Amino acid sequence: MVRLLEPVPQPVPSKRTPPRKDADISRKSAFLLVPGLVLLVAGFLIPSAAMLFAPPDVPASEIFARLGEMLTDPYDLEVIGRTVGLALAVTIICVVLGFPIAYWLARSPSRWSGVFLAVAIFPLMLSNVVRTFGWLVILGSKGALGQLLVQLGIVEVAPQLLYTKLAIILGLTQLFLPLAIISCYSAVAQVDPGLDDASRGLGGSRIRTMWSIVIPLTMPGIVVAATLVFAGSVTAYTTPYLLGGSSQRMLSTQLFNYASTTVDWASASATALIMTVLVFLISGLSSLIGRKGATS
Amino acid sequence: MKRPITAALAVIGYVIMIVPIIFVVATAFTAGSTLRFPPEGISLRWFDEALGYEPFIEAAISSLGLAVLATALALLVGVPVTLAIHRGKLPGKGLVEGLFLSPLIVPELVVGLALYQQLMIGMDLDNFSTLLVGHTALMLPYAVRVTGASLALADPALEEAARGLGASPLRAFFTVTLPVLRPGIFSAGLLSMVTSVNNVPLSLLLQGRDFRTLPVTMLDYVQQSYDPMVAAASTLILAATVVIAVIAERTVGFAKIFGGINQ
Amino acid sequence: MTAAAELIGVTQRFGSFTAVDEIDLAVPSGKLTTLLGPSGCGKTTTLRMIAGYSAPTSGTIRIAGIDSTRTPPEKRNLGMVFQSYALFPHMTVADNVGYGLKLRKVPSAERRLRVMETLELVGLAHLADRKPKKLSGGQQQRVALARAIAIRPKLLLLDEPLSNLDARLRVQMRAELRRIQAETKLTVILVTHDQDEALEMSDAMVIMNEGRIVQQGSPQQVFPRPADRFVAEFLGYENFLTAADGTPLTIRPEHLHIVEKGHGLDATVVDVAFRGVDLLVSLDVVDPSGATVRLLADVRSGATLTPGSGVTVIAPDDHLVSLPR
Repeated sequence: MVRLLEPVPQPVPSKRTPPRKDADISRKSAFLLVPGLVLLVAGFLIPSAAMLFAPPDVPASEIFARLGEMLTDPYDLEVIGRTVGLALAVTIICVVLGFPIAYWLARSPSRWSGVFLAVAIFPLMLSNVVRTFGWLVILGSKGALGQLLVQLGIVEVAPQLLYTKLAIILGLTQLFLPLAIISCYSAVAQVDPGLDDASRGLGGSRIRTMWSIVIPLTMPGIVVAATLVFAGSVTAYTTPYLLGGSSQRMLSTQLFNYASTTVDWASASATALIMTVLVFLISGLSSLIGRKGATS
Repeated sequence: MKRPITAALAVIGYVIMIVPIIFVVATAFTAGSTLRFPPEGISLRWFDEALGYEPFIEAAISSLGLAVLATALALLVGVPVTLAIHRGKLPGKGLVEGLFLSPLIVPELVVGLALYQQLMIGMDLDNFSTLLVGHTALMLPYAVRVTGASLALADPALEEAARGLGASPLRAFFTVTLPVLRPGIFSAGLLSMVTSVNNVPLSLLLQGRDFRTLPVTMLDYVQQSYDPMVAAASTLILAATVVIAVIAERTVGFAKIFGGINQ
Repeated sequence: MTAAAELIGVTQRFGSFTAVDEIDLAVPSGKLTTLLGPSGCGKTTTLRMIAGYSAPTSGTIRIAGIDSTRTPPEKRNLGMVFQSYALFPHMTVADNVGYGLKLRKVPSAERRLRVMETLELVGLAHLADRKPKKLSGGQQQRVALARAIAIRPKLLLLDEPLSNLDARLRVQMRAELRRIQAETKLTVILVTHDQDEALEMSDAMVIMNEGRIVQQGSPQQVFPRPADRFVAEFLGYENFLTAADGTPLTIRPEHLHIVEKGHGLDATVVDVAFRGVDLLVSLDVVDPSGATVRLLADVRSGATLTPGSGVTVIAPDDHLVSLPR
């Protein structure tokens, strides 16, 4: 920062060098940081690291042994595969549904679009338990969808809808679609609508304009949306617990089971490690794509 | 409609987001005693039951108290951090900010497990204190990032101007910097409160006999009994959330609050 | 001669607001026509209807004799240059210019040839591989122009193309646009709010106000004979007075003469502003109807005029324009 009015510093012939202003400010900033840092380090960083590598009464070697088993055991692999598979499916669905909604909200000039944007964002404030509970009413054995199918004569007995992959996919899509919409919305809002007009004027159909102009330019936002949805789906607990139950275990419900029911610290830590690595992998991948997009 | 595909996808998306919420409300008013649809008659009995159900009321009070304390604590330590990052001469600002945002990246369930093992079992801390530490750590990113956004928009020359006019550093902070930060603090506070009250994964393993949070209590109840009381409780939560959303919209605009954290 | 574009009774309403009100317009082929008017007069709305970005509420738009009122923009084959240029930021200059040709499935060898040809026409062949962000405003403007021309459009539509350039570049680009229009023999419709630009560049000018066309003709026809007070003010007629029979009159400041004493209108000097080559003199003048009006006279410097002194103002008949009452 340049301070024009400050007198030119004169060299002071003194043995004690006067404290420099920069150092002073730096010390003050450090002082401001201390309480936050203490909380962050003691309340988050150390426990997380300790849990992953040194749970109570369990040597670290046991965690890695358990990790090795999990990556070969068919049941554990099924849980990992199910988690990744469902998260991928939900990610694709959220982007495919969220992007057009975001495009429509950002580009339609009507005041209804403001209302619809609010309706899309509002669920983010609402408890996941409340949101997921709705699917129990719809998909449950005496729920609305089953009854409807029976009454329409499509099936004779209401099919098992709850505790299926479909139920989890629906629940997670409901949970994360708002996030996908917001990320895509802010990306689309940054693209000059004149570019759409220019492309149309040069002979591009709506679909062609979407593919050649809008989607390439909003790719960073789409990548962010996909990352948030994938990471969220891998770590969500409420939805797989209520809608997947014990027949559709995911990493999160499995982790809770190890930590709370069987109190198997090594397995819990190993599961936590797998979950964390998955989330870090997807975040790393997304920032890699983001950087590549920025340079090309 | 000029874009039939877009329209169809938008309808599907909104149905998935909204219809389950409508079903929750509809079942809450049933006179019957199962989660059957269509509901058997209309009554308010399940609201009565929910409001008279001790564990829910106690958990609701606990959750609110925890959220208020954790938010206050997060702001109290988080706002100075924001000031240090944006106004101080700090080496490695990006790194410091990244460090304070890191609780957003680690899965909450994993953090919950860590705190359960290390603080509750390892250090014999009671479950309320552990929850408070965990929730505060989780709210820190909001306090740092959201107030930082409003500070980044403000001209640093404002404080210098105040100082030039004769204000002491403390006075300049309270008369100039704090008012600039106010919308950011409000947004961060609101976001933290809502996130804390609704949290399941972090709180899940940290429940105790005498201090339980509301969402986890509801989750346990759903697993045990299949009656519409949870629908009634959910409807009450929905109503409260709508009120908060309206307040947020009137004050800062909630698209701003919820758009901010992802960027 | 057939019109390149024809608007018949075209109206555009947005809710209760009428942006364009029943206009009829024939755009001559191979000429440069300007739509001139203040912001909000409906000129850009008219251009966007011709381009197909919005359909008129009522009326017919014919392009090259064919009814195109409801044709989507991508089927019209018109070249449009946007005020913001709207260059695709993720494509190079060459890819921007070649985009329309690619959509028309022009083979890549021919495409490259036509892209370079068009870039040479606008003098940017050496920047073909740059991204638009790395170009100056003037260069971006030329790329936008090249992109619109490359598809060999039936009409070239320019929406305030020069308004984002600085003053000097703007004047240069006027001549440049004229040259390109002459070389390509394209029919051009230019939207502008700048009367100098319109006067300098147009073969035909169409002046709009509040959604209606108020006057049209060549600059040589329109400039000396503004049809009403709005057009007169818009074209820089600053002096309004009234004849003895009550007819409103107008005259440009440079056409007023000031003499010390003579046969003319009695006046008092109010203020004298020195402007280098000339003097701008404000006067309180008693007009033929007997009312006192404030007029501006643009006279050569050298005269000694002091505020407060009485003079005579002469308004030559051949420069006085009578306006409708």
